[in-house]
Amino acid sequence: MSTAILDPKIAPPFREAVLPVLRNPMLRKNVAHATQVIQNKRAKLVAEKTDWQELRSAASAIRMHVLENLGAYLEQFEERCTAAGGVVHWAADADEARAIILNLLRQENATEAIKIKTMTSAEIQLNPYLEAAGITVHETDLAEIILQLGKEEPSHIVVPALHINRSQVREIFSRTMGLKDLSDDPKELTGAARHYLREKFLRVPTAISGANFLIAETGSVAVVESEGNGRMCLTLPETIVTVVGIEKVLPRFQDLEVMLQVLARSATGERMNPYTSLWTGVTPGDGPQRFHVVLLDNERTSILARPKERQTLKCIRCAACMNHCPVYRQTGGHAYGSCYPGPIGAILTPQLMRMHHAESLPFASSLCGACVEVCPVKIDIPAVLLDLRADAVNIERKQAKRAFDLMYIGLRVANTVFARPWIFHTAQWFGRIGLSAFTGKDGWIKWLPGLGSRWTENRDLRGLPKQTFHEWWAARAKETR
Amino acid sequence: MNASVETRARILGRIRSATERVAKAPTQLADAYAALPRTYVRRGQKSNESKLELLIERLREYDAEVVECLEAGLASSIAAQLAASGKLVFVAPAGLPKEWLVSGFDWKIDHGLPAAEIELVEGVVTGASCAIADSGTIVLHHSESEGRRVITLLPDWHLCILRASQVVETLPEYFDRFSKPPALVTWVSGPSATADIEMTRIKGVHGPRFLHVILVRDETQDA
Repeated sequence: MSTAILDPKIAPPFREAVLPVLRNPMLRKNVAHATQVIQNKRAKLVAEKTDWQELRSAASAIRMHVLENLGAYLEQFEERCTAAGGVVHWAADADEARAIILNLLRQENATEAIKIKTMTSAEIQLNPYLEAAGITVHETDLAEIILQLGKEEPSHIVVPALHINRSQVREIFSRTMGLKDLSDDPKELTGAARHYLREKFLRVPTAISGANFLIAETGSVAVVESEGNGRMCLTLPETIVTVVGIEKVLPRFQDLEVMLQVLARSATGERMNPYTSLWTGVTPGDGPQRFHVVLLDNERTSILARPKERQTLKCIRCAACMNHCPVYRQTGGHAYGSCYPGPIGAILTPQLMRMHHAESLPFASSLCGACVEVCPVKIDIPAVLLDLRADAVNIERKQAKRAFDLMYIGLRVANTVFARPWIFHTAQWFGRIGLSAFTGKDGWIKWLPGLGSRWTENRDLRGLPKQTFHEWWAARAKETR
Repeated sequence: MNASVETRARILGRIRSATERVAKAPTQLADAYAALPRTYVRRGQKSNESKLELLIERLREYDAEVVECLEAGLASSIAAQLAASGKLVFVAPAGLPKEWLVSGFDWKIDHGLPAAEIELVEGVVTGASCAIADSGTIVLHHSESEGRRVITLLPDWHLCILRASQVVETLPEYFDRFSKPPALVTWVSGPSATADIEMTRIKGVHGPRFLHVILVRDETQDA
């Protein structure tokens, strides 16, 4: 169904990648519906919380404190987790993380693994790597199973299949599970997934998970979920391998009193998600008896080193920013060319790529600031976007012949024009005449030639008004005199 | 594992140099943590009675069934719930009080039952460690009376017995009550659910589809 490419190294730039989406009314309808539902639910539950801003301040301060003292807290986590029977591994990049995980699965003689939804594993593109090594990976989150069976890509970090509607799910399930009489009732579709996965939960002895939080004080790991597939994967297998970014640590168990309150409300508009599991190393007689944590750097330390960009790592992956983003709500997730879409993806992905790829993403924003208003850990996404835009332009400028690029010449001309009122007014006059040829009866410009097409290929432009503000002001002064 | 030791040192080195201007000295870390702003609501303002009412309301919003009883009526309340479920085979944690194992049903006591056997059981009866009224959350620490995690996961029907004294109003109150962190915790807020298909909430993907709660009132508690 989808031709989305979520590898930032090969994905097309944002303004090219959005085109198929903008021309797909069904996809846009699905995305708009889902984001509207979550927005409404979140707004209702945030409004009932009298201390919402205080919770955000605390969550933001805790996360920043962790990042500033990350070394100390990670070492503490490692020590306590190891003492409780866990094994801690360190991976500098995606290659190392994948190799460590494959090696652990080989030690278990695993030919299959069940998996809890984890964005970190998508970041390191774990599934295709394991499949190529002969290990069958079974996703167990309902949305992830829809995507896996439908050979689709995720378009959201909390509800990854939000771009797929019930009749499309019915088609995927009836085809891949061999259920001819399946209806498109979500209840029946969910029942089909329950039945399909139960056998795998009971049979496959090796599981892979991500983590929402690591607790330094105790060496514990917390996973937040809704369906219970997480609990299945954390409880039934003999071995669990958890892959997690180094930034996910919290100092103390008690910090969850803040994080759990802000996370569920922001992510799904619930007072609390149905299930949150916390485990500490290995508990004799209860759950997996072999437990490995893979701590992943993958450029997080480079983000940490830049004071303004550091806050990117405060993220707790609630997805509120994308649900409220006017750009994401039009384009959905695939155009971002990464498993991390939306405003957080627009700042995280290019940094994970050290600006070598995905450098178009910081421009995929109107800088309206809706994201920072809803962010439960107060990441100033527009500030980071602007800083990364400067990076992208600086890199582009250094490339050969860029000085003669039409865009740069245009901007230099604009610089001169905007600084001198008389040239500006003359240019306005010419502009109005020039653009009138392209302006439709409805006052919108839908197509422009040359450099102007860079704007109009993705969005319409308001035609210039018949009268400028200056002219209106002068006329008004004359009238009232 | 030389490569691994080297990677660890390299990552920690990168973290140290990235944060050298802002990281606190080890002796000051605890003070810096203690100084973090925590001006959010810690303690609820409700009376004991309205706190319990809030919990019941929240649980019912999740489609959980809630009944109340007095300590003296607990065994008969359990019997009534089990009978109404229409189920016969129940698993119980090893430490469940004997008087809760009401007669007339087939009880499997979990002394490490294999998962395949628990899968065949129709329901489970357990205690709990705490409940949080504000979010309708039941907290299991998987002690002797709450059982291993698997027994409250595979059966489709869960009866949880909760004492009024175990109910707190806010999440921070829970953390105040258990300042020594437990090794295993499951926070349960209603039955398993998903909204992955068109944001339509569907009850019961995995895990118990039916959650029943008996709230045991203790007459000596404050009114």
